[in-house]
Amino acid sequence: MSDSTGEMNATNQQTRVYEDVFEMLPSEENPSPMVRINRLNPAASFSLYAKLEWANPFGSVKDRAAWQMLQDLEGRGEINQDRGIVEPTSGNTGISLAALARARGYRLKAVVPNKVPKEKKLMLKIAGAELEVVSDELCPAPGLGDGSINLAKTYAKAQGDRYAMPNQYENYQNVAAHIQTTGPEIWRQTEGQISHLFVSLGTCGSVTGIAKFLREKKPSVKVIAIQPSEGHDIPGLRNLSQLEASKLFDRSLIDEILEIDFELAYKRALELCQTEGLLAGPSCGLILEGTRHVVERDQGGCGVMVFPDNIFKYTATMLKHLPELEEGTSV
Amino acid sequence: MSEFAHPEVLLSTDWVKEHLNDPNVKLIEIDVDTQAYDAGHIPGAVGFNWQTQLQQPVQRDIISKEEFEKLLSNSGVSRDDTVVLYGDNHNWFAAYGFWLFKIYGHPDVRLMDGGRQKWLDEEDKELVTEKPRVTPTDYRAADPDWTLRAFVPEVMEVSKKADKNLVDVRSPDEYSGKVIAPPGMTETAQRGGHIPGAKNIPWSSAVNKDGTFKPPEELKKLYFEEKGVDPSKSTVAYCRIGERSSHTWFVLKYLLGLNDVKNYDGSWTEYGNLIGAPIEKSA
Ligand SMILES: Cc1ncc(COP(=O)(O)O)c(C=O)c1O
Repeated sequence: MSDSTGEMNATNQQTRVYEDVFEMLPSEENPSPMVRINRLNPAASFSLYAKLEWANPFGSVKDRAAWQMLQDLEGRGEINQDRGIVEPTSGNTGISLAALARARGYRLKAVVPNKVPKEKKLMLKIAGAELEVVSDELCPAPGLGDGSINLAKTYAKAQGDRYAMPNQYENYQNVAAHIQTTGPEIWRQTEGQISHLFVSLGTCGSVTGIAKFLREKKPSVKVIAIQPSEGHDIPGLRNLSQLEASKLFDRSLIDEILEIDFELAYKRALELCQTEGLLAGPSCGLILEGTRHVVERDQGGCGVMVFPDNIFKYTATMLKHLPELEEGTSV
Repeated sequence: MSEFAHPEVLLSTDWVKEHLNDPNVKLIEIDVDTQAYDAGHIPGAVGFNWQTQLQQPVQRDIISKEEFEKLLSNSGVSRDDTVVLYGDNHNWFAAYGFWLFKIYGHPDVRLMDGGRQKWLDEEDKELVTEKPRVTPTDYRAADPDWTLRAFVPEVMEVSKKADKNLVDVRSPDEYSGKVIAPPGMTETAQRGGHIPGAKNIPWSSAVNKDGTFKPPEELKKLYFEEKGVDPSKSTVAYCRIGERSSHTWFVLKYLLGLNDVKNYDGSWTEYGNLIGAPIEKSA
């Protein structure tokens, strides 16, 4: 909406009609919803909320980083009709970036590891990405560079006239997005009551950005990061041993890092779907499991879990981990 | 600081940058496939595909002398050129290429320390997509030097007699038999474990985080003191398909200067499947 009605936008969501998809992107005036967790909260004395990032227009928390990075490239004149974007991404960032880029008239090449499921690759194509699939890593070894990150860097370096690379793993705009939007949204939605923040770690844009903002406002806020156990296959997440790839990880902003058996992520996601009515994805399940330990221990507080995306993309992954889902699906 | 035994075979990325226009220096990128090469490579470099150009799948063998000659002739390489190899995955396939060039007697072949990754990460290093214009040569290779390559009978004997160093460069889980191959790999074996008598020294222990080789003292300490490789004895190195072991073969023979080092390129995908060959497990 136009500037003259900007004031109204903030208050009158009832009558708000968005002028384009970009207006739908989350901000303090247009926050993603926060919902109380009722049946899966182990302590009544602890108020627990989930911030549903799947309500963002392209379906995940990555809308924020993607939009911020795209605007930054645009603002600096780095992209145009001829010079598109190349980015290593296995999913959510790619979907957001592809849709945003195409809606603004740019190309996006998404570099993805071969092991990414077909469904996700197709989703990227549907959202408008050109795909470049990288053969799987030969031998995961300490310090071995990530194949898709390196290939994307190669494109940006060898074909700089055709591609700019935002690089979500190193781009401070990914952090800035959360300092400018997610942090202030949570602050306002909890009316400053927040005592615990629960997040997962991928590029670490969310944890670093939200923690930075909240720490400024209220130094006592506890920042708890939940990571999957080694060998995990939870989309979007990284285990500490894999975090080297992210330059945005700042250990000093995190009070505790909990490691959770990754199989529990799938179980808890299913519980969220079936008892809270929240169709939450695996990384939400992981966050919930870690959160429950802390809630049981600390008993009192006001906690916010940042739920990155919903379950729709993950039916096949769920089946792999919860084979009992197969039951009754055919005659 | 002490030096490597053959310091000339290891080149820095800076050296390569300074010699990009030297007509006697031929750059070759060797990767598992050519996807990365096609996206961008060092100016002037030709690209070799390890899977399709350096081995013969029908024979399950390294390429023949004739095929090697044809490959190098078509790549514009002459016998008196300085050949500089580099590649992905911390130079595994480049090290395999180095071994192959030595087998066919190329006089001056070298490795760029840190490989493709280091070049990519350095701001001042350029990548291009144009393939170099090559003038074909009439390359003549030497007869293969099999003293660099171990075959099954020798490996069995080394294992039985325990009179030589036998080095398994795979990950601890492959060595112990917990896994047969790293996750997702198609080339496997019937059994998991290692050749009896082999010491487990993963290839990665020889490199720094950035993929460059560790300094001489550290390598000596690691192989000779900590892991008990006896430098006065002959050595056989193996892995799963012979590429990681080429990397360690390079370290032992050229950086540490051991006299007699062989790469057993049949490695675990051969030995692990052999009838009548005993294995050890430590899982
Ligand atoms: C499903 C999912 N969960 C969690 C994350 C982690 O968020 P961040 O990258 O901000 O650390 C991501 C994104 O990387 C994601 O796609």
